[in-house]
Amino acid sequence: MTITRRQFIAGTSSLTLLGSPLFNARAAKLEKRNLVIIMLRGGMDGLTAVPVLDPLLDKARPDIQVEGLLKLSPDFSLHPKLQHFHKLWRNNKAAIVHATNIPYQLRSHFDGQDLMESGGHVPYKERTGWLGRGIKAAELQGLALSLPMPLLLRGSESPDNYYPTGLKMPPPEMLDRIAQSYQGDDEIAAVMKSIQMRPRSMMINRGRDAKQLANQAAKQLAQIDGPRIAVFDIGGFDTHAAQGGADGQHGEKLQDFDRVLRNLSDGLGDALDDTLILTLTEFGRKLEQNGGYGTEHGYGTAILMAGGLVKKPQIHSDWPGLKRKNLFEGQDLMATIDARSVYCSAMASCFQVDFDYLRRQAFFGDSLVDLTDTLFVT
Amino acid sequence: MARNFFRKVAFGIAPHQSLPQDPLIWAQSQLDAVPDLTWEGHIPTGAEQLDRYGYFVYTRRKVLRPKFKNDRQGYEDAKRQLSYEAGQRYFENLELCIRHHAALNSNAPVFERLWLFWCNHFTISDKDFMPEFSTGPYHRETIRAHLTGSFETLLKEVTLSWSMINHLDNSQSVGPNSKSGKWRRKNGKVATVNENHARELLELHTVSPAAGYSQKDVVALSYVMAGWRTGYSKKRLECNPVKFDQEYHEPGNHKVLGKAYKQRGISPKNKLTDALKDLAAHPNTRAFIAFKLCRHFICDEPTEEMMAPIISAWEETDGHLPAIHKALMQVVYDHHESQVKFQVPEIWLLQMANMTGASWPPTPKQMEYDFKTKPSGIQRRISEMLEDLGHPPYRPKQPIGFPETKAEWLSPELLIRRLAYSKSFVSNRARDLDIKEMVQKNFENSDEILSQLEEINPAFGQHLHYIFPSSWMLLA
Repeated sequence: MTITRRQFIAGTSSLTLLGSPLFNARAAKLEKRNLVIIMLRGGMDGLTAVPVLDPLLDKARPDIQVEGLLKLSPDFSLHPKLQHFHKLWRNNKAAIVHATNIPYQLRSHFDGQDLMESGGHVPYKERTGWLGRGIKAAELQGLALSLPMPLLLRGSESPDNYYPTGLKMPPPEMLDRIAQSYQGDDEIAAVMKSIQMRPRSMMINRGRDAKQLANQAAKQLAQIDGPRIAVFDIGGFDTHAAQGGADGQHGEKLQDFDRVLRNLSDGLGDALDDTLILTLTEFGRKLEQNGGYGTEHGYGTAILMAGGLVKKPQIHSDWPGLKRKNLFEGQDLMATIDARSVYCSAMASCFQVDFDYLRRQAFFGDSLVDLTDTLFVT
Repeated sequence: MARNFFRKVAFGIAPHQSLPQDPLIWAQSQLDAVPDLTWEGHIPTGAEQLDRYGYFVYTRRKVLRPKFKNDRQGYEDAKRQLSYEAGQRYFENLELCIRHHAALNSNAPVFERLWLFWCNHFTISDKDFMPEFSTGPYHRETIRAHLTGSFETLLKEVTLSWSMINHLDNSQSVGPNSKSGKWRRKNGKVATVNENHARELLELHTVSPAAGYSQKDVVALSYVMAGWRTGYSKKRLECNPVKFDQEYHEPGNHKVLGKAYKQRGISPKNKLTDALKDLAAHPNTRAFIAFKLCRHFICDEPTEEMMAPIISAWEETDGHLPAIHKALMQVVYDHHESQVKFQVPEIWLLQMANMTGASWPPTPKQMEYDFKTKPSGIQRRISEMLEDLGHPPYRPKQPIGFPETKAEWLSPELLIRRLAYSKSFVSNRARDLDIKEMVQKNFENSDEILSQLEEINPAFGQHLHYIFPSSWMLLA
């Protein structure tokens, strides 16, 4: 199903770029597949979400052990707050990549979050995001559930964005009137047109809570001529204190993610089969707990993946182990897989574009490994 | 009549103001002195806020974390109490009120526009708790106070400010051959420079990539800058004034853009001030900033011809900012009929407030805060409104600041926000405002606008709603 670059160019030579902002010529020719990226800001701990069965983990974290784990394999379990993820796993619609991270090792949230979105190596150097560049290369459209446009999506042509507000929208007649004043300006007129085409439900007062946003996103993504890409944010994973076990702060954040996932999959309905949902975070957390029963900024972590485009339930990993000599700087889970290989492969599967082409367009031609066949439906 | 000019360089003409006789002289006469701030309530100093910032981070990290290690609810409650006590959610709003009050009430609104421009040029992005405590005072004390001297002085003040050093991680720079660097390497620790500040100093603050510098230049400038750090103390952590610590400074000479910077005298501090002097005087800096000024005030793609008089004024006066700003005003005036510029949300909001005479921002009385509870709805309104419009000035996501071009701002969601806000913001003004006069004073095409409004409703009812999100208003 993945098309080569040659076909890709042939297929897009007659592309009309504008028109409806949510729809274009290339998109019309493709089977509709959705890609959802959920950014988990603050440093999601892969060892809390998907703990390895290893006495060294218990030893390093005596006061924040997670109880009531859900078993995934002989070696790994799942945090009990990830109920819906577990359900998807049992239905062959979830998988995990473990001991992975973006190539960033310096433990700053700001630099790390910039790099997880830009996909580059030097903080603040890139002004566009890997997803934006990927969307541009594939000539598609994205929908950002945030305000302003996240760096991750920058670089694509006129991406759409949505973020609820308590403000009241003017009535349609007034919009028509105002639209008249835009007649001398094609660009503003085009944006107004896409506003007028929006369902009214996307304009009225809705919560900004990620879970409610997920409902909106799912409705949009489920439409055959709706957007194919959605991005949103869950913050608060930076648990320096009272991280806790099953009921601690980190568990609570994982539960937020799980509810977003549930609302997405419920809202998507059958379209979940043509969807891929991936998490993205700036780094994992240190193996050892700190004095405040939390954890400090670390390195390696996990990517949680869900949707019908996941190939099979699996924990894909080149597991480095938790012995001191195997840890990054003697402290953190090592990352043995460049997370960008996973994201590039996910785009190849969802956008139906050649992996190598995306690797060059979205990731600067960096040497990434093609995991498309291993992880995703092609 | 040049009526659009007053929106291009300021915030339009308010109901109680009459049109100035000579628009250009009006604009140029506002640039030689820093106008007093108009806010009559308390204006916290930078030093006062750094104290507060220090207390806040110290208590969070060193007191609450160990105290509540087994008590999640207790930890959340204690964090909330601390947030009120320190004014974590209050001061950003207060600072924004001070900013907007100056824009709308200053006797030099053109100066106020330039102040906002320079705040965005020397951006502090949304990092740590800087929007909450330190960015407002930095904008006032580091930028505003230095807009009537030379660019070089402004650049030095900014570069060595606590805010910029903290924002761009220069405190984390360790010269590999410095005393500290050698010790660190001996003990198996990393000893490298952090290049953030040096890179942004070249790319965003001065010469821009057009100067053709290389990664070697960036590293060399990082060596020159190593040792300039935020002071550290046990009780205030990193929230102490910037100082130069030679133990972290990379010894030797470092070549940046072809010139070696060396120590003259007993301290190597001069290496950075020498480099800043040269960067301020570099031809690419002049061209880059002339381009940005034109892009902010005239059009998205300024021409060489627009930039030339600004660059000349810079050369003739060694970067005297009032001279540069006056030259800019002349260029804006010369092109005010032929060029239009998409107005960014915060400026648009201020224009709407000014032209309608809306009671904005909240008053000093409304902003009185007890430091015991969550700030009230009205006290939080200004930050929430700017957030809604996509333009919270202390919270750009990246050090490049907020974008200036139409393409970057023209998204459906952001236009929806303006549509909705123009309705809620001005509806209480519709009754007692002379809409016809407002349109005649502020729009060159007032006849066209008024005839279209009449077409909608000859009685001039709710017309303000139509004017502010219209393209007549979005473009100036």
